[in-house]
Amino acid sequence: MYVTAVIDEEKCVGCKLCSQVCPEPNAIKFDVSKKKSCIISIRCKGCQICEVSCPKKAISMKQVLQKAV
Amino acid sequence: MSLDITKINPHFEDVMPQEYIDLVKNGPFGNEKSQKDLGTFKELLEEHPLCAGCNLALAFRILVGSLPNPEDTIIVGSTGCSSLAFSQLALHNIHSVFGNQNAVATGLKTALRLRFPDKIKDVIVMAGDGATADIGLDMTLHSWFRGDKITTVMFDNELYANTGGQESGMSVRDTVLYMAPKGKKFNKINLPDMAIAAGCSYVAVVSTARTKPISDCFKKAVLITREIGPTYIQIYTPCPTNLKIKPYESKKVATDRSKSDYQFREHITDDAKKYLESLKP
Ligand SMILES: Cc1ncc(C[n+]2csc(CCOP(=O)(O)OP(=O)(O)O)c2C)c(N)n1
Ligand code: SF4
Ligand code: SF4
Ligand SMILES: [Mg+2]
Repeated sequence: MYVTAVIDEEKCVGCKLCSQVCPEPNAIKFDVSKKKSCIISIRCKGCQICEVSCPKKAISMKQVLQKAV
Repeated sequence: MSLDITKINPHFEDVMPQEYIDLVKNGPFGNEKSQKDLGTFKELLEEHPLCAGCNLALAFRILVGSLPNPEDTIIVGSTGCSSLAFSQLALHNIHSVFGNQNAVATGLKTALRLRFPDKIKDVIVMAGDGATADIGLDMTLHSWFRGDKITTVMFDNELYANTGGQESGMSVRDTVLYMAPKGKKFNKINLPDMAIAAGCSYVAVVSTARTKPISDCFKKAVLITREIGPTYIQIYTPCPTNLKIKPYESKKVATDRSKSDYQFREHITDDAKKYLESLKP
């Protein structure tokens, strides 16, 4: 895994659209108390579909594993 | 299936994984869900080996999350990329030899009717375009001709993805693929119209451009199948790996196609319509 999606909680409005477009099961969870979505990074394959689907531009990609030198 | 078997033995409650508790308490058993609920409960599908950005995987996830009666559903799959996800599915399922899926489903449906005459048992076929429209076409059509009460779902990525990108009958004419270098020489098979002519009570054409219609049409199809007759759902699920595009670009491909030659379509017979009306509270 090289990249994972991350959600900016400030920008997320809790519309749950990202969890309806992700091809990976259980990768995007909805936090009912905060009313925000969050990414379970170990399940994310970094496809960026959620990133391009988010109407609030709240999702970006983060490098999680550096290339071996 | 009795819902009791999913209940957690009180003596083991303290050692059960949180995910399992979540599945039993908030999951879809005895509590119908739809695509908008995804993310709020542990899904019946687990981490699968399909490619990053695979639209077939997305469609599969939406379908599994929208089942009206998961506890009494048996899914029949076939060879192809989707079969790699079946081993990660917490539902009864059968893998059939490439193309045989509707024949296997017919046998299963018959056996279940005899064994459980008073129970609802949903038999649903989910397979690729190659399995449904090429190698399994006679099995698919004959199950419709016979009026077998089976829901058939096709993941239409318009090629043989699992074997490296050969053309299928569902590929669009002139498409060039890894293993179709000269381009396909004949038109895409019009299976939705064949399904109508063969006697399906409900036929829908949807795409991964929008997941709500996938969920809505699939629910209708399963309900209509129970009482009225065979149903068919065709889902456009572009394959980024064989289209040689970035995973996220599949979203745009699906959206563009859904506005041009892969538009939403629905056909419902009068009987099926009446039946759905009768279910409304
Ligand atoms: C009887 C038989 N013929 C051929 C194959 C080889 N084979 C495996 S998967 C596949 C293509 C699957 O295409 P499709 O049904 O469209 O599924 P996809 O992989 O595209 O999802 C083929 C030809 C096989 N497994 N069994
Ligand atoms: S990047 Fe892809 S796999 Fe990761 S959470 Fe977003 S949609 Fe899911
Ligand atoms: S090859 Fe295509 S259809 Fe198969 S898993 Fe990869 S993206 Fe999905
Ligand atoms: Mg295919």
